[in-house]
Amino acid sequence: MRYLLTVNGRPRSVEAADPDTPLLWILRDRLGLTGTKFGCGVGVCGACTIHLDGQAVRSCQVPVSLAAGKRVTTIEGLSADGNHPCQRAWLEEDVAQCGYCQPGMIMEMAALLARPARPSDSDVETALSDHVCRCGTYARIRRAARRVMGAR
Amino acid sequence: MKTRRELLKLSVAGAAAIGLRVPILSAAEKDDPAFAPNGWVRVGRDGKVTLVVGRSEMGQGVRTSLAMILADELGADWSKVALEQASPGPGYEHLNTGGSGSVEDGWPSLRRAGAAAREMLVAAAAARWKADPAACRAEGGSVVHAATGRRLSFGALASAAAALPVPKEPRLKERGELKLVGTPVRRVDGPKIVTGRAGYGLDVRVPGMRYAAVARCPAAGGRPVRWDAAKARAVPGVRGVHEVSTGIAVVADDTWAAFSGRDALGVEWEPGPNAALTTSELWARIDRAFDGPMRRVTRQDGDVAGALAGAARRVQASYRDAFQAHASVEPQNTVASVAGGRCEIWSPTQNPQRVQKETAKLLGIPDSAVVVHVTLIGGGFGRRLGADYATEAAEVSRAANAPVQVVWSRGDDFAGDFVHPGARADLEAGIDASGRVVAWRHRASTLHLTMFGPFDPKDVDEDSPWGGVDTPYAVPNLAVENNDVESPVRTGAWRSVFYPANVFARECFLDEVAAAVGKDPVALRRELLSAGEPVADAKPWKLERRRLERVVALAAEKSGWGTPLTGPGYAGRRGGRGIACNIYHGRTCLAHVAEVSVGAAGDVRVHRIVTAADCGIVVNPLGLAGQVESGVAWALSLALKGEVTYRGGAIEQGSYRDYAVLRYGEMPEVEVHTVESDRPPSGFGEQPVPPVAPAVANAIFAATGKRVRRLPIRPSDLT
Repeated sequence: MRYLLTVNGRPRSVEAADPDTPLLWILRDRLGLTGTKFGCGVGVCGACTIHLDGQAVRSCQVPVSLAAGKRVTTIEGLSADGNHPCQRAWLEEDVAQCGYCQPGMIMEMAALLARPARPSDSDVETALSDHVCRCGTYARIRRAARRVMGAR
Repeated sequence: MKTRRELLKLSVAGAAAIGLRVPILSAAEKDDPAFAPNGWVRVGRDGKVTLVVGRSEMGQGVRTSLAMILADELGADWSKVALEQASPGPGYEHLNTGGSGSVEDGWPSLRRAGAAAREMLVAAAAARWKADPAACRAEGGSVVHAATGRRLSFGALASAAAALPVPKEPRLKERGELKLVGTPVRRVDGPKIVTGRAGYGLDVRVPGMRYAAVARCPAAGGRPVRWDAAKARAVPGVRGVHEVSTGIAVVADDTWAAFSGRDALGVEWEPGPNAALTTSELWARIDRAFDGPMRRVTRQDGDVAGALAGAARRVQASYRDAFQAHASVEPQNTVASVAGGRCEIWSPTQNPQRVQKETAKLLGIPDSAVVVHVTLIGGGFGRRLGADYATEAAEVSRAANAPVQVVWSRGDDFAGDFVHPGARADLEAGIDASGRVVAWRHRASTLHLTMFGPFDPKDVDEDSPWGGVDTPYAVPNLAVENNDVESPVRTGAWRSVFYPANVFARECFLDEVAAAVGKDPVALRRELLSAGEPVADAKPWKLERRRLERVVALAAEKSGWGTPLTGPGYAGRRGGRGIACNIYHGRTCLAHVAEVSVGAAGDVRVHRIVTAADCGIVVNPLGLAGQVESGVAWALSLALKGEVTYRGGAIEQGSYRDYAVLRYGEMPEVEVHTVESDRPPSGFGEQPVPPVAPAVANAIFAATGKRVRRLPIRPSDLT
């Protein structure tokens, strides 16, 4: 079965025999977009977070058949040159350690920031507490999140 | 005891070394190494300076800190250096990353390497200018003649420098001449990380590569007896099913097809000798050691038995930590390509030489025929000192006759972890009539670490005494006894290994003794660290008690020890402070004060950790603070969150749902204070971990009057 998606602004056609193939593996193994990370495959770690029609979702939980016709944004497409306010704040606060979970964290925060209403500290806490960072960069993520909310 | 640390030293080859490129970590362009005086520095005619990193980056920041040391000594322009990751080969014999030794070992060797290159560049410039080399200096990627202001870039000097002899004893810069060391420098891989371009093991893509999943027996020691290969092959995208030594491999066009094909196998397992093994059976084996003498006395000062017998009062307590997984967010994986008597491997490994050797042995080819590229690692924590997941990929590639990426699912990662084994420590102290601590006995038992080889019935593992044998307190009669039990399950190194178990016991017990003699926990620590010999001999380490005492005093002072805890977070809750400290391997001294509150339901909140440390020169204060935050988060998971349990010989946990780890909303404020020092830097990756759990437990006692003697701490322990 062939599926048409818009990935980072470009139309992409992908073949998948199994309509339940998670979008995560389409992005990583078919489209070479490895910035979206595999962490748990069951939607509890958040490493694979992307935007689907502007909403933060876990790409390991989205079957490719449900993504067809939708706009997909991955970390590679969040900004043209790495200058999204979240990416800048993450660098300024030197957030990353191993860095593996950070694309998911950034995509979550970017989606919150794109909402019409300004997110509160508690919105941020709820959203980011659903992500796992085993290196424990949470304190710096908090500082980066406050930085982008302040600059908004 | 085995001395694993000896294997962790950096080696610097005198001659130009072959730097194998890691295409996913560094730009693929060919540089022109006109000048390569050693394995760590190369300068091209175009002035491009390439620094080679000989340790694996897994979040601890070595690609930044090691490159800073080298660049600073060399006089390179930090904003322009390129990094390359070393691969095993001539000149790079010891690339293993473990034991918090990267900066400690790199400080002398990388400085020598940088200084040698600098002296040669300076000599080349001085010869060109017919000037005195002493009147020239290297800075910002050029050599400058101070008197005349003349300047030549490293690139312009590269060919001439290459013709000069490599100095054997180059002059190292004075502390004041180092410009980069000691300043906060952001992580070099940051820009790639935040744009999704950083290359971890799972991101490796090589031409013709297939994806594989392996069905492995969940019980240690089991084997597959029946499976339906045809059903797996019927899954679209599956290319082959192969029996390998670790299980049944399904090779496919993408990861999802490999996982789906594996599910279709319907493997029946013969669970083997551990079919009935449970967590309580493992604890029973650990506990049996306490029925008689321990296998090894690791420290004996004075006469403990006599002093205990003669003591006016005795205090005893028994402590346990739990079995723990690594649960790094990047699951295990490796790409291997076996062809024509050679093997190329791309692996997120802490131990590339081990990967090389074990793969060569498996394939029956020379070590030199195995090329290992070290990728970025999405969390290591000791798990990736094992080579199992890399050699397995080589085996699958050989069977499939294609380059293959073996991907472990999250469930595989738990099931096949080399777990941190639970440990029990029983402590006993003797107190004389005047309230002085005159005897201290620490007896501990755990499982041996299978990651590093078979059980040695004549000795205990190198690491199991850590935290007991190096007890820093001046007690005249002190004995430490250790025991390892042969482990039937996979066990291994886990950030700071056995320190957390022994330091939890020791530091909680010290608080119990303080309460017994009616002293403040900070005051008793300071008393026992300012008494006795300034330097205690705890083979193989020397413990500088006064250095630790200063750190304890600093943490207490900065936390406002003794002042009330206030703030909205404490409303309706019982609050308390606790302290714990440790000397890691006789070098880094560190103390944490934990500020904690306990709710009516026994729920624990950690509000703030105040850390004081003396680790010699701080290379990168920004990285160091990150390691404290990281160590605190890691240890709070150990103290308050999940644990691994066994049933039927298999680990029962399979995701972050049933193995809880610390989350964003639970992260306390962390405040770090370091002692100014001009000593060489000592390690800092594992060092912040051990004193966290006891500081929290001691704070809980201060808040509630309840002693916690078992990790993780459960709300039911506190109600």
